[in-house]
Amino acid sequence: MKKLRLFAAEELALALRSRWTQIFALVFAALSAAVAGAGYVLSGGQGVQDFARTAVSLVQLVVLLVPLTALVIGVLSLAPERGAAELIYSQPVPRRTVLLGKLLGLFQALAAAQAMGFGAAGLLVYSQAGSEGVGGFVLLVLASLLTTAIFLGLAALLATGAVGRKRTRALALALVVWFVAVVLLDLAALGIASVLPSGPASRVLMVAAIVNPVGAVRTGALLGIEGTGAFGAASLALFRFTRGAGGVGVVLGASVLFWLVVPTLFALRRLRRADV
Amino acid sequence: MISFRSFSKSFGAQLAVDGLNLEVARGEVLALLGPNGSGKTTTLKAAAGLIVPSAGAVMLGEPPRSAQEPAAREVLSYLPQKVSFPDALTGREIVEFYRELRDLPGERVPKVMRFASLNGAGERMVGTYSGGMVQRLGLAVAMLPEAPVFLLDEPTAALDPDGLCAFDALVQHAREDGRAVLFTSHQLGDVERLADRFAILVGGRLVACLSASDLKDRLAERGVMRLRFAPVEGRDWTAEAVLPAVRPLAPAASWSGDELIVPGPASVRPRVLDLVRTLGIEVRGLTADEGQLGELYRELVAEAAPAHGEGAK
Ligand SMILES: Nc1ncnc2c1ncn2[C@@H]1O[C@H](COP(=O)(O)OP(=O)(O)OP(=O)(O)O)[C@@H](O)[C@H]1O
Ligand SMILES: [Mg+2]
Repeated sequence: MKKLRLFAAEELALALRSRWTQIFALVFAALSAAVAGAGYVLSGGQGVQDFARTAVSLVQLVVLLVPLTALVIGVLSLAPERGAAELIYSQPVPRRTVLLGKLLGLFQALAAAQAMGFGAAGLLVYSQAGSEGVGGFVLLVLASLLTTAIFLGLAALLATGAVGRKRTRALALALVVWFVAVVLLDLAALGIASVLPSGPASRVLMVAAIVNPVGAVRTGALLGIEGTGAFGAASLALFRFTRGAGGVGVVLGASVLFWLVVPTLFALRRLRRADV
Repeated sequence: MISFRSFSKSFGAQLAVDGLNLEVARGEVLALLGPNGSGKTTTLKAAAGLIVPSAGAVMLGEPPRSAQEPAAREVLSYLPQKVSFPDALTGREIVEFYRELRDLPGERVPKVMRFASLNGAGERMVGTYSGGMVQRLGLAVAMLPEAPVFLLDEPTAALDPDGLCAFDALVQHAREDGRAVLFTSHQLGDVERLADRFAILVGGRLVACLSASDLKDRLAERGVMRLRFAPVEGRDWTAEAVLPAVRPLAPAASWSGDELIVPGPASVRPRVLDLVRTLGIEVRGLTADEGQLGELYRELVAEAAPAHGEGAK
């Protein structure tokens, strides 16, 4: 446990010094503040939107940006230079300790970077609109952290065994994974649904929203913030499909848990037998 | 302390190491030699638990445990061939990290920093280091735990003369402390000076394993003595006169220009000299050369290459 924390601390220090993390923190803070402030502009200077409405607007930003940065920063940090990997894995420490420690450190760094953005947006909203709907905002932050953890796990899977030259390939794969999870799956589901009759079509959309990690987090966050109003008729269909709100929670939770645990487990398994 | 037991490793169709049996004992310094791509790094990596043997096993410590087990690597310090560190950490932070990882007392840090002459650069990011400084930092990390087993992959490749000197002291020290050292190098000078034993890999196979005294004998056999004689009026010191007398002692003796050439072990040289004196010849010049490790190495490799050439490339 002490060794795991040691790797986490080193990775955290490295990530905080990395240009990538710093850029992400700044961009994310700027965009979050912009989203929060946009309500002010849209309402013609009447005041910013409350926490719940801001959270809904921020979900899109989180879903787009957080997987991308977790994948890219994750792969860059977890697929080390050959000479560095050789030295680390020759130490008397199980490989899983190394990987889990690094994942923990990266998670802390990305969480800190996001905290800047959420902090800025939160302060802006609180100063203008008070604390109404703050529960939804907290849910959004939670969703963002879950997304971070899920995509760090996927990055670990891509990065293990990608020592030295293979780093570039792992990085390219990370971009493909991001594109598929964030863009392609939704588009494909919409495309398929558009040619189907409405019953099967809504089922396709629902499955896409549950199976895809990005979809599951987004659906969960929006339902949590807005309740059944989130997707109109589609939410009602989803509730029917899963037999009530509890069912939705279980299904989405299972999907998130799956994506949280399984890629990391595969990464650990792959790492155990890999040649460094 | 290190024991390769029929260790083989292939990467796809490429057989990198083929059935290696080799032991390195306490207090022994073994140099692993061989051409590029002959499997030296693969051998060391297996001992560092970095690669899974395709066949056989590599054991560390006493009692022997598989290098694959993390706990077995407590006894180990490994310096990779091209060691590298995260650019954004300082030299001191890196040494400090490995100190904590190996549960070592804090006073080790200034010691190894001084050894590596990195005191001035300790607070700088590794990204600003030169190649040799990175290599020195690698050595500093490797000597941090005073581990009983040292695995060093071309440790001297980027070192300046001062660094080399420090490295020699390190190896000497390790030998005196009864540690086992296994290192690779293409610098045969370093090898000859430091090692107690020499193992030569060609195409992944161990083609020779010589102790330092074996090596001395082998090199002495390849030595050569050259004699020049003072001319004396009316006497003929040419090949016809001298060679038949010398040949029973040194069958390979020959005449070249005005020199008598006596190849072979150093032990025959005094006897040849005595003989020459009894013939009444005055010796005016004598040079003796010992065999060169480089030549012996090239011969051993060339001998092995036809047989295992297909394995090498
Ligand atoms: N990860 C790998 N994947 C595929 N082939 C490899 C790998 N590592 C080594 N090899 C091959 O195994 C053989 C032995 O390589 P190794 O690095 O052990 O040689 P070496 O003796 O250390 O050479 P050098 O003196 O150049 O350092 C080479 O033919 C090399 O191409
Ligand atoms: Mg090598």
